[in-house]
Amino acid sequence: MSTLSLRSHFLSPTSPPKLDSSKTLIFCTSFNENAKRFAFFKGTSTRPRIVCSSSSSSKDAFSDNIPSNFCIIEGPETVQDFVQMQLREIQNNIRSRRNKIFLLMEEVRRLRVQERIKGVKGIDESSEEEANEMPEMTSSIPFLPHVTPKTLKQLYLTSLSFIAGIIAFGGLIAPTLELKLGLGGTSYEDFIRSMHLPLQLSQVDPIVASFSGGAVGVISALMLIEANNVEQQEKKRCKYCYGTGYLACARCSASGVCLSIDPLSVVSTASDRPLQVPTTKRCPNCSGAGKVMCPTCLCTGMLMASEHDPRIDPFD
Amino acid sequence: MSAVLLWVVCPVENAQPLLSLVPRNGRRGRSCKLSSTGVSAACSSAVAHPSRSSEERVYEVVLKQAALVREQRGERALDLKKPIESDDMADWNLLNEAYQRCGEVCAEYAKTFYLGTLLMTPERRRAVWAIYVWCRRTDELVDGPNASHITPKALERWDKRLNDLFQGRPYDMFDAALSDTVAKYPVDIQPFKDMIEGMRLDLRKSRYENFDELYLYCYYVAGTVGLMSVPVMGIAPESKASTETVYNAALALGIANQLTNILRDVGEDARRGRIYLPQEELARAGLSDDDIFRGKVTDKWRNFMKGQIKRARKFFDEAEKGVGELNSASRWPVWASLLLYRQILDAIEANDYNNFTKRAYVGKAKKLVSLPVAYGRALMGASDLAKLVVR
Repeated sequence: MSTLSLRSHFLSPTSPPKLDSSKTLIFCTSFNENAKRFAFFKGTSTRPRIVCSSSSSSKDAFSDNIPSNFCIIEGPETVQDFVQMQLREIQNNIRSRRNKIFLLMEEVRRLRVQERIKGVKGIDESSEEEANEMPEMTSSIPFLPHVTPKTLKQLYLTSLSFIAGIIAFGGLIAPTLELKLGLGGTSYEDFIRSMHLPLQLSQVDPIVASFSGGAVGVISALMLIEANNVEQQEKKRCKYCYGTGYLACARCSASGVCLSIDPLSVVSTASDRPLQVPTTKRCPNCSGAGKVMCPTCLCTGMLMASEHDPRIDPFD
Repeated sequence: MSAVLLWVVCPVENAQPLLSLVPRNGRRGRSCKLSSTGVSAACSSAVAHPSRSSEERVYEVVLKQAALVREQRGERALDLKKPIESDDMADWNLLNEAYQRCGEVCAEYAKTFYLGTLLMTPERRRAVWAIYVWCRRTDELVDGPNASHITPKALERWDKRLNDLFQGRPYDMFDAALSDTVAKYPVDIQPFKDMIEGMRLDLRKSRYENFDELYLYCYYVAGTVGLMSVPVMGIAPESKASTETVYNAALALGIANQLTNILRDVGEDARRGRIYLPQEELARAGLSDDDIFRGKVTDKWRNFMKGQIKRARKFFDEAEKGVGELNSASRWPVWASLLLYRQILDAIEANDYNNFTKRAYVGKAKKLVSLPVAYGRALMGASDLAKLVVR
């Protein structure tokens, strides 16, 4: 069984800040008996320190790397967690963490495979047919239910038959039966006149008329479908932050700066200086970002299934 | 059941001696000890409970709320409590947008409730939306998709945010909307804190031994909402009833709503491993948790449900006594919500008490019919209501 262990040194908020520290990020992976060591380190300025571990249990490695002060509700100080780091260190940290995520997901995949092999056998053979080609998608045509391969075929059939029928009707049946628009066989011109519409409408060329009718139909259909699509995409957005993942900081009204009101300084210099324009300082709430985390979607911007999901709650 | 009788029978006249014992601004811990003797003395005619029941503790909170409202009415003129905010004008746009979003969230997640708020005045509507959004966000912390990441520390932080927003320092835009609301209306922080406490309770508990525990839970998650909204709805100036009565009625409405929810969602909650019905009462009816998980409607279940529905209806009756005392503009929406929710109990009965697989819901037609009925009842004041024959 291959083991994976990571050790990375970074300034955690609890440890005392080391201003001259060099960033060293090491990944060591040891595969079985190969003892293949892949060490990757990056130093900023001075001596790089190499720390390599080939411990078998990955549990210890993770337990001291995952910060224990993780909390889903943000406070004003959470963005300040890594304030001590320099820019280069921050970039290195970002890179190392992204690597970590990738490796962890790979582990989850392998664990899932093991789980599948060991336990979850034969629970649902029926669901295999469902996992065929198309996953269930909501239809982009309004009022239609979910789209599956079956309904898609039905849609093709119905649409084609409708088109054929209309072409047959317009091209063959109507002229043969001499169907006129109005009641009792009134012609087009009489119809226009009886409806009191402007008379030039009766002079419209048939080709122009059919082209305009078709174009209007297509354009309005596209418009409806687009509106429906937008509505469905909106349904997937987090309702609190409108899909942005962030809410406006109330302290600075989303500007990022607050007035620094310091009564003592005003009093002391009142005699010799006139009133000064109040200075602004960086907002302590959002650290100047102007926005704070949306606690509902945890900055993903997406609507997540809650107990009011239509699967559980179809009548609301 | 005896605890319920204590609550229902104990009339308002006993509130006077109780008031003298409850200190005005004392911490809840201190006031609890002081008034324990007072409550048992005043209600000694009713069944004597050795330890204080939830009803008594909740009643104290109600009294404190009423007392605070009276105090705040005097202080409002001087406006001593609220700190001076320097950037009010700059926040106005943000505030408007925040209220707007609160309305959208409300419309999205509670359609019928949203329609009810449209019956209120615009100012009250916005205030109720802000309160709704805060309550919903709090509820989602323990019941929503991120509930697996919730820690006591997160709830502490949420509590701190609540304190800050009550002092005029909101964290994000939705907090800002609530902060503005509590600045405009005399809303107290205690019901909000109690709601967070209820969330903490929900994390630990999935079974309730007796009605006393269930009552406390219902207070935490729904009774508090009633207490939060009374200052927004406002009490009619010509009302002769005491503030306590109105708060009690609001509390009863909240409890009734929550009991209705519980009775409607038995199956759904069971699927998530939660049973809110009191274990003692289930045992007395000869039912067990397994019967609920199995989901079969038996005669024992029908009898049990009949008793539960009867108790919920009693709370609705309690609530009806106070609706007439509210501000005339607020009576219609409150009546409408009361009547609508009451009909859910009828729907459960119509489903032959099958709340395992069938969801009892009130059809749109019935909902629409309730509106003019509610309007009619809202037009009558409290004095006329007393003349009607009570069911």
